[in-house]
Amino acid sequence: MSQFERDLRESLRRHQPPAGFAEQVIARARAREKRAAPMPLRWLAAAALVVLMIGGVVFVREQRRQAEAERNKQQLIVALQITSSKLNRIQGRLSAIQQRIDELRLEERQ
Amino acid sequence: MTKAEFESAVREHQGMVYSIACNYFHNAAIAEEIAQDVFLQLYESHLSVETGTHCVAWLRRSTVHRCIDTLRRSSFRNEIQVDLMPEIPVDVPETDPFLQERLRRLIASLPETPRAVLVLRFGEDMDAEEIGRILQMPVRTVWSHLQRATALIREKASRYLKEKEDEPVRTRSS
Repeated sequence: MSQFERDLRESLRRHQPPAGFAEQVIARARAREKRAAPMPLRWLAAAALVVLMIGGVVFVREQRRQAEAERNKQQLIVALQITSSKLNRIQGRLSAIQQRIDELRLEERQ
Repeated sequence: MTKAEFESAVREHQGMVYSIACNYFHNAAIAEEIAQDVFLQLYESHLSVETGTHCVAWLRRSTVHRCIDTLRRSSFRNEIQVDLMPEIPVDVPETDPFLQERLRRLIASLPETPRAVLVLRFGEDMDAEEIGRILQMPVRTVWSHLQRATALIREKASRYLKEKEDEPVRTRSS
């Protein structure tokens, strides 16, 4: 090994970190662990919130859909009632006409 | 890695990790920050350390790569272009504390890869094959970096020594 390589080795010799370095690193690691611990709870809360929101949206949509169906049903019933009354009226008229025709035929025969 | 294993690794290898960063940057504050980050990365990686050698290799690799990344990210880069420098073999005379400091400064001014090679070779006493594994490069490339960086440092150091030798003469003449 040359003198120059010895100089390089000497200039790159081991340094000791400042006092308390290891304790500081260990404390930081513990602090990170503590901070990281509530994460699952936070995630659970967030997931529950998301589920609630989605559930709420689905529930409201279902309610609206049912209300719309009920409204449509009522409208259909009213429409059928109207149609039915009109048909009855027409049926009545037709019956009256038929009766009149029968009367006229009877008069002709006499 | 259990908590006890982690704490033991920090106490055992703090000098090595800190020295690599310190020799790389020639700056105690940056070295301390990098060393702390490397150990925290070790803690969070949940590395299963089968042997002490495995842990040492992991720490060396992480430290060197973190140093290189930090240097690449930093705006301050006081580098010497190794490729442009001629290889001038000069015998460096007996060492002195100023020369040591000068060498440290010169090493810290090299570009990131040759600097890492030099720090691992002379600071950690690793062979070219190990360095190649850590820096993910062929052994020949490691040797090439090593030779050029050494030649450059040698040339710069000799220039400094020559200036030092001339100094009293200049003083006398003036």
